[in-house]
Amino acid sequence: MKRTLPPTATLLLLAMASALAVAGDAGSGYRWIEGGDFRSSVRYEESTRIVRVASFSLMARPVSNRDFAAFVARQPQWRRDRIPAVFASPGYLGHWAGPDAPGDGVDPEAPVVHVNWYAADAYCRAQQARLPRFAEWEYAAAADATRRDARQDAAWRMRQVNDGTPHAIDAAPDAPANAYGIQGLHGAHWEWSEDYASLLGDGDRRGQQDGDALRYCGATAMSFNDPGDYGVVKRFVLLSALRPDATLGNLGFRCARSTP
Amino acid sequence: MKIASLFLSALLVLATPLQAQSLPGDSVYHLQARTQDSHGAPVAWASLRGQPRLVSMFYTNCHLMCPLILENAKSVQKQLSPAERRQLGMVMVSLDPSRDTPDAMQEVARRHRVPEGWQFLTPAANDVRAIASVLDVRYRFRDDGSINHTSVLVLLDAEGRVRARSEVTAAAADPAFLIQIKALLAGP
Repeated sequence: MKRTLPPTATLLLLAMASALAVAGDAGSGYRWIEGGDFRSSVRYEESTRIVRVASFSLMARPVSNRDFAAFVARQPQWRRDRIPAVFASPGYLGHWAGPDAPGDGVDPEAPVVHVNWYAADAYCRAQQARLPRFAEWEYAAAADATRRDARQDAAWRMRQVNDGTPHAIDAAPDAPANAYGIQGLHGAHWEWSEDYASLLGDGDRRGQQDGDALRYCGATAMSFNDPGDYGVVKRFVLLSALRPDATLGNLGFRCARSTP
Repeated sequence: MKIASLFLSALLVLATPLQAQSLPGDSVYHLQARTQDSHGAPVAWASLRGQPRLVSMFYTNCHLMCPLILENAKSVQKQLSPAERRQLGMVMVSLDPSRDTPDAMQEVARRHRVPEGWQFLTPAANDVRAIASVLDVRYRFRDDGSINHTSVLVLLDAEGRVRARSEVTAAAADPAFLIQIKALLAGP
């Protein structure tokens, strides 16, 4: 027995090492999400409530301060002291100690916040990726740790009232990944979507002066198939009210890739 | 003279990085976006710098609002003096790159008898949202292929700063917007 142990142990070690390698990759890695037809909680003006989501990949974790600092080192036009005014509001990366580094007071592994849509978009492009569309976010975020669509679980859903706050389901550092292996979708931070500016409320607004009306929460809050889907409702209302140069202390992002 | 101007434009091309540094911070031309015109030639978004422009976003497969946008922009141009008309570039940018091929853009220009000199630009697919963002245009594709979008004419000065906007609700130009355009064109 003793003689057979070392090879087994070696195998085990090898298996653990490769598992670790995969886990290490998860820091900035992408997880594949099999697409499908999806009943969105958001009601657009179409009569159909089913959204077809194509398969895509999504970052397992949001982009961290460390990741973003590496990005602004490579593309210094996105430093807070160099970003053109057209892309930025005054708060951009305002929580960092310096223009090129978060500093000691900021957890390098924490999701980067106070980033606007333009900078998030540029970061993802540099990764040959893009920001996820809202429907993709909603699809991925319908999963809990064991189910791809846990939205029938009223208790789980109720806890999403805390999304975007430190009490959120995924805010704890040891919160499990969801069924796709993705972490933090219901975390203490909101995340940009590619189509933040397409989240028009219901009604046919083609050609009308909808610019302001759809920035009010009230206008968008009416258009949900399922107003009890708190995580989605809150996120939708928040994102649809944002301008692309806006930043928030609890708004970060992660990137997605289409399946070729 | 011709050679001199060719030489000058070559110099200008070489000087582009320098120019970019002096671009005002609030210029929409900070955006690195790619488009092509209705002849299929590549046009960098930032290359629109250098002349005041009236810019709008639309799509060719749109039968209600987009004709109105074109008519409104034509109406604006019609009320300018010939000299003002030469100063102001007219730019229509597609929201729908997969369908708005150069041919489709030429066809819509013909169908609506758009005067010579307008630029019909189709952005790269992943550049549409960013261009729309700097112009504050919101849009969303519907299941039937139509697009909900903000219908607006945006006046940019030569440096790409947004100087005025006109929401399009009718075929006739907004008189207040015309005053803003004329003021910009008359300026230093």
